[in-house]
Amino acid sequence: MAEIAVTQDEMMAVYPKVAETMADALGCDVDDIEPNVSLIEGLDAESIDFLDMVFRLERAFKVKIPRGKIVENARGDLPEAEFEQNGIVTEKGLAHLREYLSEVPAERFKTPMKVADIPRLFTPTTFCKLVVRAQKEAAAAA
Amino acid sequence: MSDPHFAAYSFVDRITEFDAAKRACGTFAIPAHVEAFPPAFVAEAVGQLAAWVAMDAIDFRGRPVAALATETRLLGDATPGARLALAVDIQQCDDEAVAYDGHASVDGRRIVELADCLGPMLPVADFDSPSALRERLALLRDGGAPEGRFDGVGDIAVDVAAIVPGKVLHATIDVPKAAPFFADHFPRRPVFPATLLLDLMMRRAMDLARAPEALGRQARATRITHVKMRSFIVPSQRLAVEIALGAVNEGVAKAMLSAKTDERLVASARLEVASG
Repeated sequence: MAEIAVTQDEMMAVYPKVAETMADALGCDVDDIEPNVSLIEGLDAESIDFLDMVFRLERAFKVKIPRGKIVENARGDLPEAEFEQNGIVTEKGLAHLREYLSEVPAERFKTPMKVADIPRLFTPTTFCKLVVRAQKEAAAAA
Repeated sequence: MSDPHFAAYSFVDRITEFDAAKRACGTFAIPAHVEAFPPAFVAEAVGQLAAWVAMDAIDFRGRPVAALATETRLLGDATPGARLALAVDIQQCDDEAVAYDGHASVDGRRIVELADCLGPMLPVADFDSPSALRERLALLRDGGAPEGRFDGVGDIAVDVAAIVPGKVLHATIDVPKAAPFFADHFPRRPVFPATLLLDLMMRRAMDLARAPEALGRQARATRITHVKMRSFIVPSQRLAVEIALGAVNEGVAKAMLSAKTDERLVASARLEVASG
């Protein structure tokens, strides 16, 4: 399935509610949420927080976000064998990831990168993209 | 207790309605001999009913374990000897998580309501015997299990290290090395129940709230929000607990409850307390 393009304006339109939802989930002040802060390294988010955030975003935006499949989504159309080998993201996979997570500063893409470390890249903007994509998918389905 | 499995921390003994993957109703007879059955245990009973629906929905591949509870409204008390009427509505359920709402009533009066709860699913076989769970669900749906097998959880000390009356409390909880509830929660992987920890922290929060410096003796807990279990708490683990009560505003105060181990946050919740 082709990836759904998301514009900066579309992301910014949902950002305030995404930030508010994330702050509520993480128990922090909304001012602590910055668009490109790493949720794990900057805001101490853990796997349960990701589940919480997705659940809250689904309710806040009345969309269905494929929980637990964010990394899978990041892989997109790339076959798994081309995306990663033995738990390490391939060069091709990394290029795809850089494109998918274009909001993440380049220096944060370490090499070699473990698949398990991909969530460390996620930022509030990543979740804005997920929300907008989910909105577009819902609209297309309707 | 002869066999603690499905007894020492199991709070559903009959399922009266079961709409697969959608909703269920059940009951739990609180044994008259237990000292108390606090609101956190009532919430646990609702969660356990949801867990039965969830496990059945995914053919017992997984079970909800740690939990998130967005809001739990505390409307009344359950006394020993009472019969809880439980109900859950499943919002979503798949191999990753179950989302649900639910409530518990006594004699037709709603005492606890849970809204927007989420239980991450983990492989059931890591925690319990899938075949034993299937048999138990069949028993619960077919007339129910014997009642009165819960004997309480015993005393678990909360050692208060520092307290500012009406404001903040720091304490230590040493999770027991052994206790009957570990054989039920869970037989293959003992985990200190989140709702048991929540009850211990709520009691200390109410101590703070009932201080003359705060809401006074008539204070009552009305709502728990933002309940989040971040990791398993295991036997013999030491927990550092902090309860911080905020300022009283229009007769309501909010307490932040947290438990850490080795400086790492493992559980947190917020409790609202009202005067009178």
